[in-house]
Amino acid sequence: MIKFLKKTGLQDVIALIVILVGIIVIMSLSSNLFLSPRNITNLLIDSTTVGIIAVFSTMLMIGGGLDLSVASTAALCGVIIGVFQASLGIFPAVLIALAAGAIVGLVNGILVTYVGINPLITTLGMFSIARGLAFVFSNGLTIPVFDLSGEHQAAYDRFTILSEGSFLGLPYPVIAMLLLFALGVTVLHLSSYGRAMYAIGGNELASKMAALPVKRYRVTAYVLSGISAAIAAIFLTSRLYAADPRAAPGVELTVITAVILGGTSLAGGKGNLVGTFLGVMILSALLNGLRLQSTSTDLQNIIQGLVLLAAVGFEQVRTGNVNLDIRKMFSK
Amino acid sequence: MSKVLEMRNICKSFYGVKVLKNIPLELESGEVLALLGENGAGKSTLIKILNGDYQMDTGKILIDGQEVDFKEPSDSEKHGIKMIYQELHYAADLSVAENLFIGHLAKGSGPIGKHLIDWKKVNQDAKKALGLLNVDIDPKAMMRDLSVIERQIVEIIKAIYGNAKILVMDEPTAALTPPEVEMLFKIVNDLKAKGVAIIYISHRLEEVFHIAQRVMILRDGNHVATKNIEEVNSDSLVELMVGREIEERIIELSDNKATAPALEVSGLNKFGSFKDINFKLYEGEIVSIFGLLGSGQISLTRSIFGAERADRGSIKVYGHERKIRFAQDGKNAGIGFVPIDRKVRGLVLDMSVLKNLTLSNWNNLLTLGFFKNKKERAHSQKWIDALGIRMAGGIDTAVKFLSGGNQQKVVLARWLEANVKVLILNEPTWGVDVGARSDIYDQLDMLAKQGLAILVVSSDIHEVLAISHRILTIYDGQLTAEFSHKEASQDLLLNAAAGRLA
Repeated sequence: MIKFLKKTGLQDVIALIVILVGIIVIMSLSSNLFLSPRNITNLLIDSTTVGIIAVFSTMLMIGGGLDLSVASTAALCGVIIGVFQASLGIFPAVLIALAAGAIVGLVNGILVTYVGINPLITTLGMFSIARGLAFVFSNGLTIPVFDLSGEHQAAYDRFTILSEGSFLGLPYPVIAMLLLFALGVTVLHLSSYGRAMYAIGGNELASKMAALPVKRYRVTAYVLSGISAAIAAIFLTSRLYAADPRAAPGVELTVITAVILGGTSLAGGKGNLVGTFLGVMILSALLNGLRLQSTSTDLQNIIQGLVLLAAVGFEQVRTGNVNLDIRKMFSK
Repeated sequence: MSKVLEMRNICKSFYGVKVLKNIPLELESGEVLALLGENGAGKSTLIKILNGDYQMDTGKILIDGQEVDFKEPSDSEKHGIKMIYQELHYAADLSVAENLFIGHLAKGSGPIGKHLIDWKKVNQDAKKALGLLNVDIDPKAMMRDLSVIERQIVEIIKAIYGNAKILVMDEPTAALTPPEVEMLFKIVNDLKAKGVAIIYISHRLEEVFHIAQRVMILRDGNHVATKNIEEVNSDSLVELMVGREIEERIIELSDNKATAPALEVSGLNKFGSFKDINFKLYEGEIVSIFGLLGSGQISLTRSIFGAERADRGSIKVYGHERKIRFAQDGKNAGIGFVPIDRKVRGLVLDMSVLKNLTLSNWNNLLTLGFFKNKKERAHSQKWIDALGIRMAGGIDTAVKFLSGGNQQKVVLARWLEANVKVLILNEPTWGVDVGARSDIYDQLDMLAKQGLAILVVSSDIHEVLAISHRILTIYDGQLTAEFSHKEASQDLLLNAAAGRLA
């Protein structure tokens, strides 16, 4: 198994598919509901928040960055929609939310690249700040997002259709996520931005010496990460008819787990979106299956933490940073 | 003399590729055995097997006639084998004494004292240890404040103090100045007299004649020969290493007729690094800056390119004043920069040859931010052919699998692809083997003939004398002299670079 994981590329994808199928088999054996069309649809829609953000987190992490503030930013952007919709209308509110996501990302990016604060600390700080702002702007209350006055029915209908509409049986949020993954794959592998992410994550110093505008690319990656949180917030708010400052709890952890599970290196320079997509599906299936069996949130958290540690552990083994020789461990 | 080490029929494969085939090695106490071979010949694999980093597939290792089995580095250390690597592993913020005795610092006495470190004794012991090799290093000095040679000496003393019988020195002189090399040789001779056996790896052949009793040559994982030093000369060694004869390089420098300087540096200053630097570099010219390591030449060239920032002064490229603050400014001004340590600053090792080659200039290869695949390949292939970059597996091979010389050519090609007018190279042939070295010289020559202005920083005096139209010497951050190719000689350069002007 370890030797198998050491080889990269296709083998990784196959390994992830095997894990995904394994989880699906186990979950469907333990609950009849798991494979029901309704649950599958729910599972897919649930996966979109994590999935949409994970696309851009993957790019960011390939470029050697990290963003722990995505879930808080999503909550903040949701609240911003909630606050501004009443006075400005729903669509201007959505645009403001997107701008807010970009600004949060910009601040993260500037702090990391120009001020030189460690990305973990920067975005951990922002994790707290954005969530705090969400509570301040909403007074800690859930803000209803639907047409209270009855005068802008059409606009709100268009907002609601974002999450309730479907095409060929696939709900719009799922289509949006798939499109973003497709766009992400194209950008990562064929564009200068994608190339820059691999170069900067692979060797930042060499990229600098090759006269690549490293800082600009890195700030861009944080801005996109912030915008992705806003996009996720738009779909979430549409689905819930409400903006909740408590929204998307623990999503940053799920995102990072999915990205690392998918084979993106924490050190940067390596990774791909096919892996991330499978990582998102694996975690969504796992958490959905656990919920069907009424597993407590606490236990879900424990399991998710274990998956994260296992994923990082496997990466260490695969990259040869540790030599996992069980016999040796016990012989001493 | 007695045999302290014998390696018999060592074989090793990686992923089915045989990298060592039946290698024999014998080492007697008190001798220096030079281990030679081009990069990739198998030297480092052999050494890593001896150190216990790798396990051999078949073969035997005998220490003092006893068969041993090394599973990890601590096993070989127990048998008195110690590596002195190019990059030393030391604790920079601890003192010399602490580094020497790390892990077993002397404790005091008494009920409390026995749990505390007896600093007086530690420093005395350190002084005694340093006295073994008659060197004047303060045991209380911090490692980071020491020069490269001093750190190396501390490392060597630590090894022999730990009762090492066999020292393996991997390119120990790579970062040393000529006087420091002398110092190292003196220490090696002292060690020999004490009965320590030394395996000495170096790319510099003249050192080998200076210091080794026997040479062993590897090529492509095969043992080519082991000879007494009297039996070989430098031509025959190169032939054994490369497997073919390399013709003597005949320098044919065309007279430089250009009038407008490609690069004009005036009044360039950086506090603590260099002072009042003025020089011109003409189109089609190769100018070298020669100086002892740490004389400010690296910082100077980095500042011209924009990897660091000068305090004041002006840089003109083809008559245009350029404000250079970042590497991008250097590139936009038409300046390219090949750094010393290509693996750290030059290449994204996991990326392909293709992607490394185009890294500095995407302008012509993109439409709406997306790469034109065919065009990018065509551009890269052109340079691969022009510079003779050799790689197994084609243009999409990760650049880390290339030899040092070919990696260097990739970095070079990147700047040619970026269409620079001025190219700065720092130590262009460090870690590049003999064959590829003359290749790189020929290419620099060719590029200069095509009009590129080339500025080389090198601490290799033979290299400087071989390739430059003009040579500038630098000492303590200031340019001390200028020599034309005809005027320059080893003596003149060394004196000027040591601040002793005739």
